[in-house]
Amino acid sequence: MTLFDFARGPGMFWATTIMVIGIVWRLAGAVLLARHKDRSTPRGDNRVAAGLRAVLMRSVPPHELEKHITFQHLTGYAWHIGWFVTFLFFVPHMPFIESILGFGWPGLPNQAIVMLAAITLAILLLLLVRRIVHPVLKVISDFDDYVSTLLACAPLVTGIVAFAHLFPSHHETMIGLHILSVEALMVWLPFGKIFHCVTGLPLRFQIGAAFARRGVKA
Amino acid sequence: MRDVLVGDYLRGRGVSRRSLLKFCAAAASWMALPPTMAQEIAAAIEKARRPSVIWLPFQECTGCTESITRAETATLESLIFDAISLDYQHTLQAAAGDAAEEARHQAMKENWGKYLLAVDGSIPLANPGYSTIAGVSNLDMLLEAAKGAAAIIAIGTCAAFGGIPAARPNPTGAVAVSDLIKDKPIINVSGCPPIPVVITGVLAQYLTFGSIPDLDRLGRPRAFYGQSIHDRCYRRPFYERGQFAESFDDEGARKGWCLFKLGCKGPITYNSCATIKWNGGTSFPIEAGHGCIGCAEPNFWDKGGFYEALSVSRWGTFGTVAAAAAVGAAAGVASAALARHRQAKAPEGESR
Amino acid sequence: MSGLAGIPIKIEQASGKLASGNVEPLLHEIGHALEQLIEVRKASIIDLRGVPLAPGEEDRILEFLGTGEVRAEFEASGLSTVNESRFPGVWVVTHHDATGDVMSRLIEITLVPEILCSQVEELRDSHERFALGVRFMGEPTADGIRSG
Repeated sequence: MTLFDFARGPGMFWATTIMVIGIVWRLAGAVLLARHKDRSTPRGDNRVAAGLRAVLMRSVPPHELEKHITFQHLTGYAWHIGWFVTFLFFVPHMPFIESILGFGWPGLPNQAIVMLAAITLAILLLLLVRRIVHPVLKVISDFDDYVSTLLACAPLVTGIVAFAHLFPSHHETMIGLHILSVEALMVWLPFGKIFHCVTGLPLRFQIGAAFARRGVKA
Repeated sequence: MRDVLVGDYLRGRGVSRRSLLKFCAAAASWMALPPTMAQEIAAAIEKARRPSVIWLPFQECTGCTESITRAETATLESLIFDAISLDYQHTLQAAAGDAAEEARHQAMKENWGKYLLAVDGSIPLANPGYSTIAGVSNLDMLLEAAKGAAAIIAIGTCAAFGGIPAARPNPTGAVAVSDLIKDKPIINVSGCPPIPVVITGVLAQYLTFGSIPDLDRLGRPRAFYGQSIHDRCYRRPFYERGQFAESFDDEGARKGWCLFKLGCKGPITYNSCATIKWNGGTSFPIEAGHGCIGCAEPNFWDKGGFYEALSVSRWGTFGTVAAAAAVGAAAGVASAALARHRQAKAPEGESR
Repeated sequence: MSGLAGIPIKIEQASGKLASGNVEPLLHEIGHALEQLIEVRKASIIDLRGVPLAPGEEDRILEFLGTGEVRAEFEASGLSTVNESRFPGVWVVTHHDATGDVMSRLIEITLVPEILCSQVEELRDSHERFALGVRFMGEPTADGIRSG
């Protein structure tokens, strides 16, 4: 069995299985935790609206902090958008998506995607260097931060290398490595900070709803 | 006859130099050499000595033999078969039975250490009786013939990598030539079948340069297998622009768009189909509207479906995902129960 | 072939500047080679089959080159044609095998393609046969047919 056959076969099966086990485990574990009953009188009843408002409002930095974290704010959004557009709109990925969802959608021209992927990777690497060099970030960053960053970079690196045929007689291996890098990300996803992709928005909603009960704008 | 120069032999057969030059112009094209090299190739071939070639057909469908001989018509490729001395090919030769085997032994003895051994078909190991010639198992015949060979040409994916007989579950225990012979140079000319001119081109290369050509990591001549179908496909601009056929009869298919989504294995297949093409340069599978099935690569039968795109992976089924979710839920319930237990036991006011 | 020939097949030709994108570069290469021929008398050969071309593009190139004053053909294990295009110095050489399949198609930018010339390697043998033929000219042969 070649690396490519493994990545497309048992590798993807086990990565998917581990990812699903991990996501459901952590979600169930968190949701089922005991909570102190809130015995105060509710001061607002528009909790759903407040929750949704919090999702929107907490997706941008607070006005007071904005000018201090503009760089982080913009680059963060830029690379997230670039990463997901690359994944979801690169046409050779479409059969994979269709095999899961049963439907697909039109993609973007390959050259546009490759440029976007390269820009996304450049931003990620810039942020990684910043994390290593910045006096505060380097103190508060841990193993999880670095692994998560590298796992976000790996599919972009392997994808660009494969697409550009940098190793022409090893194209199959390069595609295999690309798929394996995605599988590594899938396996790590439930257990590190990347899990924010599952919990992020629901958590903002929950905070907004909880604060609304107390009559506070989140 | 063995020490006759190829040039003299061809002239004796009434083959003009212009015929040879025509062949060499085509050969330069197949070998991706500059067309101006045709004269040099012709000069080299003329000065070469006619090599003896012994061809052993093993567990094969005869497609490779058919591919190169097209026995009814004499084509220019048959010129290269004039240039070699094909001393044994039991599918084609007039002699049969003991006479044929005697001819083979004679040729091997006379040219010991110098003959080219051509093999097509895989070699079954599970039971020697699966494939025999004149009562001799393929394995024994290969081991005996390989001893005196200067080099071995494994023709077709079966001989090069095991091919169709080796596809899961490989009931005959089929193996490739290179799995059995480790002490002789082996040239793998893979393909199911190989493009006819690739076979003759390899022989021409051997005659021209007098040595084993530059081989890739799978033992295939780089001149013919150095680039992937994807890299030389005329439909590549459609791939780059993201224009793909979604089904075999849709608008994209009619316009000749890329067949990636219909399972084309062009990106991982190395062969000359996109340049040399088939049937005298008429067309090749992609041009005819069907994706490449990767027949020049090992295990092409077991690489997922022919119509499954390369980016499709076997993530499981909704059943297996549901089972994984159930396992996760169970783990989550257990974790939560443990956490609640600890919370209950912790003194009042401590939330850890 | 039986009723296969009766199936109407419409091939959509590659159109516009889409398709392979190799037609213009190829024509530029021919133009450049013509310049080299003029300036330094350097001949070039371009293998048309070595360039990935979409269906119909090879015909477009040949149509553009057209035919000029010289049309030559020879039989050597199949027909070969050597035609000067409508641009002197640009020749189209097509080699067919004995079944009529096209083996190779070359664009030669030269004063005259070398394959039209008599082959030096065959001259000695030619001279021997010529001398023999002249020697025995006029003498009756065994089957009564005179040579010459």
